[in-house]
Amino acid sequence: MEQDTLRKLELLNQLSLNEVQKANLLAFFADREKELDVLNAMNTDDVERMVHVMPIMTVVREDIASQPFSRDELQKGAPDTNQGYWCVPRVVE
Amino acid sequence: MRYETVIGLEVHVELATQSKIFCSCHAKYGAGPNEHVCPACCGMPGMLPVVNRRVVDYGMKAGMMLNCTINRTTTFDKKSYYYPDLPCAYQTTQWFAPVAVNGLVEIETSKGKKNIRIKQIHMEEDAGKLVHDISEDTTCVDFNRTSVPLIEIVSQPDLSSAEEVEAYLERLKNLLRYAKVAECAMEHGTMRCDVNLSVRPEGSDKLGVRTEMKNMNSIDAIKRAISYEVARHIDAIENGTEVLVQETRRWDDIKGKSYAMRNKETAGDYRYFPDPNVMPVVIDDAWYQAIEASLPEFPEVKRARYIETLGLGEYDAAQLTKSIAVCECFEDAYAVCKSAKDAANWMLSEVMSILGSRKMTPDSLTLDGKTLGELITLVSAGTVGRSNGKKILAAMFDDPSLSPKEYAERNGMIVSNDTGLIEQVAKEVLAAEEKAVADYRAGKEKALAAILGKCMKQLKGNCNPQVLRELLIAEINKM
Repeated sequence: MEQDTLRKLELLNQLSLNEVQKANLLAFFADREKELDVLNAMNTDDVERMVHVMPIMTVVREDIASQPFSRDELQKGAPDTNQGYWCVPRVVE
Repeated sequence: MRYETVIGLEVHVELATQSKIFCSCHAKYGAGPNEHVCPACCGMPGMLPVVNRRVVDYGMKAGMMLNCTINRTTTFDKKSYYYPDLPCAYQTTQWFAPVAVNGLVEIETSKGKKNIRIKQIHMEEDAGKLVHDISEDTTCVDFNRTSVPLIEIVSQPDLSSAEEVEAYLERLKNLLRYAKVAECAMEHGTMRCDVNLSVRPEGSDKLGVRTEMKNMNSIDAIKRAISYEVARHIDAIENGTEVLVQETRRWDDIKGKSYAMRNKETAGDYRYFPDPNVMPVVIDDAWYQAIEASLPEFPEVKRARYIETLGLGEYDAAQLTKSIAVCECFEDAYAVCKSAKDAANWMLSEVMSILGSRKMTPDSLTLDGKTLGELITLVSAGTVGRSNGKKILAAMFDDPSLSPKEYAERNGMIVSNDTGLIEQVAKEVLAAEEKAVADYRAGKEKALAAILGKCMKQLKGNCNPQVLRELLIAEINKM
C-alpha cells in the first residue's frame, strides 16, 4: 500500500493517524499483500465462487405492510425534531 | 474530425411492493413525515434486516424480462454512504452477486434495431428525503422513503445517441410494466436515470473521459442533457476550452447547462463488503420456476398474436401493445363483444381520445374491459347509437361501477324501434329542409347527411342510422 492510499483511507474513515500508526499499518498491509499474492497465484478456474463462509441462507418474509411503531415513540430519544422530522446539522449552504 | 458518443445508463426503478425491502413498513408515498418508519429503517442500533420475498421475485422477474442470467445465490453488501438520508451510514445493496447479470434488450430507432447489453440488475434500498427549507440552521430528515425497494439496471456502454437512450428507456418501461414489477413513472420519481457519457474519435476503441449526470427524471431532459454534454466534450477536445475530468455533474434543465458536483467516486471509495446481517438468498428450482411461469406474454409476441390470430392490422396491433393496461382492457372487451376489430377501434379512437382529453397516460387506464365490451355490444347491435355510446364511455371513466345498459335506459339512450315516431320526425325535417332536399336531388350526397343529422338530433341519437337513411331516401322519392 502506498502512502497516498493510506491517506485516502484515513480521510474516508474519518481517522487521524500519527506517524507510528501509519508506519505500523503500512507494514501490516504489506504483509497482507504478500499473503494475497500467494492466494492469487493459485489456479481457481474450476472452483465455484463461495458467497458465504457458512452453508446458510437467509429467511424471507411475505410482502405484508404494517406499522407497529409510532413516530412519537421512535423520536423519543432524538436530540432534535421539528414537525415530525428528525433534525441534523445543516448539510447544504 | 468526426466523433462518436458512448453512453451507459444506470436506471433506478422503484418496485411496486406493499412493504419496504428489509422491514414491514409501508412502501407507499403520501404519508406525513416519518409515519412509515420503524427501528430497522431509521437505523436504530441492533435492528436486523429481513428480506422481503416479493423484492427478490420482482428482481428475478425483471432479470428474466431483460434476458439476464439469474444468480441462484444472490447476496447483499454494504456500500459506505455517509449522508443523513441513510441513517445507517451505508446503503444495503448488491455488489458481489447481484440478482441478475448479462442481459440483452433490443431497441428500435430510425436507424433500425440494436441490442443493448445489460451488465447487471441489483436490488437495493432507496435513501430518505432531506428538507432544507423548514429551518435555517438544520436539515430535516424524512425516512419514509428509506429502504423502499429499488432495482438498479446497469447497461453496458452500448448506447450512442439521445434517440437510442429514449428508445432504451421506453423499452425498459414497457417490459417492466408488462411484468407488473414497477410503475416506472419518471414524473413520479419511480424511475430515475444516471447518464454516463464520453466522446471519442469515430472508430477509436479507446474510451474518452467519462462524466456522469445523476438522478435524471424526464426523457426530454435527458435528451437535452446529452446534447449539451456531447457538445461540451467535443468543444473541450477540439478547442481546449476546459480540461475534461471524470466527475459527477448536475443537469440544470431550466438553464440548459450541466455543472460539476464532485469527482466521480470509484468502487473503492464505497468500500463495499458483504453484509453480515443478511445471509445469502438462495433461489431454489421451485422458486425460479414459479417466477418463470408468471412471466407475461412479451409485447412483440402479443403483437404478432393480435395480427395473426385476431386479424388486426399491424398499426392497430402496434398501438395497442404499447401499454399493458390498454392490452388488458382490449382483451377483456374482446372477450365480451367477440369482435377484435370493434374492440380495437373503440380502444384506439374513443378510449384514447378520452385519455388524451383528461391528460391521462395509457398506462394509467383503469377502465373495466368487460364493461367496455358490454357497451361495444350494445352499439354494434344498434341498441345504443354511437354518439350516445361515446357519452356512456365518458360516464364509465367517472364511475367504474356503471352498467352501460342501465345508464342508457336511465338516460333515454336506447335506440327507438318506434317506426311511426321516426317517420314523423323524418317528414317534419324534410318539410323544413327544402333546399337540402333539392341539393340531394341534384346529386349532392352531403345534403342527405345534413338532413340525417338533423333527424338524429331530434331523435336524441336513438335511431339506427341505416334505417333512418333508407326511410329518408324513400320519403324523398315520394316527394
